[in-house]
Amino acid sequence: MVERVKFRVFRYRPEDGGRGIYREYEVPVKKGMTILDGLIYIKENLDPTLSVRYSCRMAICGSCGVRVNAIETLACHTQILELRRRLITVEPMRNYPLIKDLVTDMAPLFRKQKALMTWLIRQDTEEQENPTRQYLQSEEELERYLQFTYCIQCGLCYSACPVVSTFPDFYGPQPLMKAYRYYADSRDEGGVVRTRLVDRFEGVWRCHFAGSCSAVCPKGVDPALAIQLLRRAALKG
Amino acid sequence: MLARGVGRSSVFQTLKVMLTPGRYGLERWSYVLQRVSGVVVSLYFIAHVLETGNFVGGITVWGVPEYSFAERAYEETVKLLKNPVFDVGLAVIGFLVALHTINGIRLILAHFGFSLGRPRRPEPFSPPPSFSTKQRAIFWLSISLAVFALLYTLDSLMRVFRP
Repeated sequence: MVERVKFRVFRYRPEDGGRGIYREYEVPVKKGMTILDGLIYIKENLDPTLSVRYSCRMAICGSCGVRVNAIETLACHTQILELRRRLITVEPMRNYPLIKDLVTDMAPLFRKQKALMTWLIRQDTEEQENPTRQYLQSEEELERYLQFTYCIQCGLCYSACPVVSTFPDFYGPQPLMKAYRYYADSRDEGGVVRTRLVDRFEGVWRCHFAGSCSAVCPKGVDPALAIQLLRRAALKG
Repeated sequence: MLARGVGRSSVFQTLKVMLTPGRYGLERWSYVLQRVSGVVVSLYFIAHVLETGNFVGGITVWGVPEYSFAERAYEETVKLLKNPVFDVGLAVIGFLVALHTINGIRLILAHFGFSLGRPRRPEPFSPPPSFSTKQRAIFWLSISLAVFALLYTLDSLMRVFRP
């Protein structure tokens, strides 16, 4: 059975002087259709000028993050009929520079990740490059950070964070979570360096535990928990 | 078609994000309430100090105020405050102070990883460990005590100002 659902899509062209508008499109919807399917339908049949970023269409690449009815979600991960709405508002993510329509510039997120050295740090770099043995971990050691490895870097948490909105220098949930992921890894030796990086005003101390990051994560990662544990680590030094 | 967002002032956007909990859940409501209560109680504190200062002669507090001056100032203040608007305002302040205090203790605990769950593998339809029953229970405790404070303040005001 086909239903008709109205899509209210945010449109923005930088050459139009920095103001955005909403355009409405009527989309025929079948069971199983996602928000991304709806946007592709609009692009193919109603308005080819619509810009939307996507790749895998199965919640793995993290490219199609948008705000649907005022909450961050992956467009490919949200079924239209499950929303039970006749009008669906689709907007770009917050807290990122806007490129066009629903496409945002993810550079701030990646820049902050890099600033926090979110990779495995070893003192013996030669051994790291050419390991001479295996570095096994116990089940408990794995559990300490495994949850945080599920992150696909879609950036929804960064968009949902009210602290990033009010204080753009804040590192944000995803980079801090990533820093904790490596801090908690028993193979990592960069704990002191990394805790010094996050032990500052724009680091862990700025988080107010609004929990929006964990609420919107499509992979069940818990950045709010990671930040609180990282804060404890920073206090210990 | 409606104009939106990008061109508006950042102050407007910032306040909008800060003050609208949206559909992000309980922790976001806690965030909004904690910030609003913090600002309101701070403003009240300033007004309260200024108002109380009048009893001892305002900015001439370092002089020796006459008793009659303090008595007159007290009578005038009671007369000013003896209306339903200030009664409700004081009751709301009681609510906000209780909320801010208990919720603040919850936040201090949560900020250092206490009252939260442990990291575990994500499971479908199960809430993240940071949305633990413990910390949410403390939030509801703060709401309950705040409501109690509101009712208690209203009751006290009725007994003091409406003999």
